[in-house]
Amino acid sequence: MPIESLPLRQPPSAVVAQGRVWLGDAVAGEAGVCPGQKLATALGLVPGLTVFERDKQRERLALEGLAGWAGRFTPNLSLAPPDEILLDIGGCLRLFGGLEAITSAIVAGCHEQGYTPQLGVAPTALGARWLARAGGGALCADMESLSAALAVLPCPVTRWPPEVLARLESFGLGHLGELRALPGAGLRRRLGNGPVDDLSRAWGELPDPQKAFVFPEQFAAGLELPSRVEHAEALIFAGQRLFSTLAGWLHVRQQRVRRCTLHLVHDDGAWSAVPLHFAEASAEEGRFLRLLREHLGRLTLRAPVEALRLQADELADRPADSAHLFEQAPSGEGALACLERLRARLGEPSVRALALVADYRPECATREQDPLRDTGPSTAGEAPPDRPRPLWLLPHPQPLHESRGGPLWHGPLRLVSTPERLESGWWDAGERQATGDVRRDYFVARNPLGQWVWIFRSAEGWFLHGLFA
Amino acid sequence: MNALPLPVALADVLARGDVWRGDTLASLPEATIPSGYPELDAELPGGGWPRGGLSEFLVERSSVGELSLLLPALACLSRADGWLALVAPPWLPHAPAWAAAGVVPERLVIVRTEREVAWSVEQLLLCGGFAAVLAWPDERIDARALRRLQVAAEGRPALACLWRGAGVAEQPSPAPLRVALAADEQALAVRILKRRGRPASRSLCLPFSSSLFRPGRSSRVVAGPALSVLADRIPAAAPAA
Repeated sequence: MPIESLPLRQPPSAVVAQGRVWLGDAVAGEAGVCPGQKLATALGLVPGLTVFERDKQRERLALEGLAGWAGRFTPNLSLAPPDEILLDIGGCLRLFGGLEAITSAIVAGCHEQGYTPQLGVAPTALGARWLARAGGGALCADMESLSAALAVLPCPVTRWPPEVLARLESFGLGHLGELRALPGAGLRRRLGNGPVDDLSRAWGELPDPQKAFVFPEQFAAGLELPSRVEHAEALIFAGQRLFSTLAGWLHVRQQRVRRCTLHLVHDDGAWSAVPLHFAEASAEEGRFLRLLREHLGRLTLRAPVEALRLQADELADRPADSAHLFEQAPSGEGALACLERLRARLGEPSVRALALVADYRPECATREQDPLRDTGPSTAGEAPPDRPRPLWLLPHPQPLHESRGGPLWHGPLRLVSTPERLESGWWDAGERQATGDVRRDYFVARNPLGQWVWIFRSAEGWFLHGLFA
Repeated sequence: MNALPLPVALADVLARGDVWRGDTLASLPEATIPSGYPELDAELPGGGWPRGGLSEFLVERSSVGELSLLLPALACLSRADGWLALVAPPWLPHAPAWAAAGVVPERLVIVRTEREVAWSVEQLLLCGGFAAVLAWPDERIDARALRRLQVAAEGRPALACLWRGAGVAEQPSPAPLRVALAADEQALAVRILKRRGRPASRSLCLPFSSSLFRPGRSSRVVAGPALSVLADRIPAAAPAA
């Protein structure tokens, strides 16, 4: 954890605290760098070693970020700084399909988040922590297997004070099992209360309440990138980690996000924001990423990016929904999610739905609206016109030539209906881009090629206005 | 040489929806949607417009009633709360006419794009949320894009229709159904160029004017001919003005 929380690291690297190596990465470890070494020794072993001072604040933030992400597994979790998170998975084993399934999902998820977890499962919190520190990934479902597993652990996993550990070593006690076999009263006199109480907690004889991790009210998470990124597409991978944390946080709070903003921090200190709007509030990670991909695909970075920050702007409560009993979910993401992506790629004015407007003038009878806003039924739905209306309108009426008193459009037009007078509109006459007052006689007409059109005659002459298709 | 035992009985093969005898129409196991014209349904495999496959409509000249051919099916889908999409429509849709035909305007999505028609149609089909997708691609749409669209349409519940010019009738296309539309005196001549099953030999004439002038309306000027199946007589291509 201390080393993985650092953004700009490249192997070999090591974290240093008070002039001594705290932890080295795998490449450094192979070269002989080990914890507790003097910095000069480590640099002698690996001349190209990148050295970082330990940053507890950053470790704390990384731990909290990971806890937020782990909210997808269980709402009951607690932090055990500097580097441990306790998940109470007792209640959700069945949901995830058993102990093996949930632990492997947790490990795989941690790897995706960029961390290498050590994991232990036990009925007691302290027992699980000790098992995790020992490595080996022991899964103990009951007290019997736990006490067998704890008995063989070396004493240093307890992280007791060094003088206690030194005293145990002088007693010749190497394992917790040997310690446990000794009478409690004598140990208490020699080692103090702390270690003996710890033993009782690990074996489940004393209660061990944990301080629950409180998920923050607002979501904002940041991520520093391992290197400067110059192409927007390359941000997708890093964005994935942030959205994954967001999904975990949303899951715990039983909320969904409608609007969030991804802030890009450029290397010159400036910010740029990528707003993400969802057609319907969502908590699904895959949907976040699909939309992010569309947005980043169109984005040109004006400067290289150093860090990302994700902020949830608008949240909605998540209605309880039930999964399908049988596999009957329709394939695909659904209409709204698709429209959202089309809109992200083509621009908002390019994806519209229609609505009726109660207006006589044909060009005013249609209104285009946002397909994602549910506006309810339109106002003029109840009385459809009793005269034929064309499916297509021309953007502007097209003047027609005349020949022998009749209009022409690919040949002389034959009028096949009686006139229909549409007039008035004085209320917006003179306004900019308004249709204004009209006085028109509409006809259905047909030309010799067999095309059906909607034409009108006004004081200015004949015009083609619609096409019957 | 001994006759090898057939791994699958012939009857089983013939029962598949995508295998048909040369002298009959394929029976499609996928859902079809009735076109609203019984004569036309009789000629279409599965008895209606196919869902889960691309259909091409080749129109020599627009505004001869080509869209009205689909309106009964579209209205039926729209009434069932389905989303309809028009991708790159050539003109502005006039909401009162669509509403009068039974299409819910709020569920009719217009996607305006020039270069991304194929991409948009593919996304609309893949998402599975649209009941019908009608697209007007330009002439540059290539065989590869058509193939992608056919793959996207396969197995999905959407009615996928492409409107193209009559000039591409000779070009091969992956669409399982291709229909040429042209004007005929008072009617719309429908010629099925390609379908699953034996090729169609004659064309249908469907009265377009009857949808323009419904009974009870001011229908005294034009009386469309009764629905009739005429012999194959697509009018010779008139010089386009």
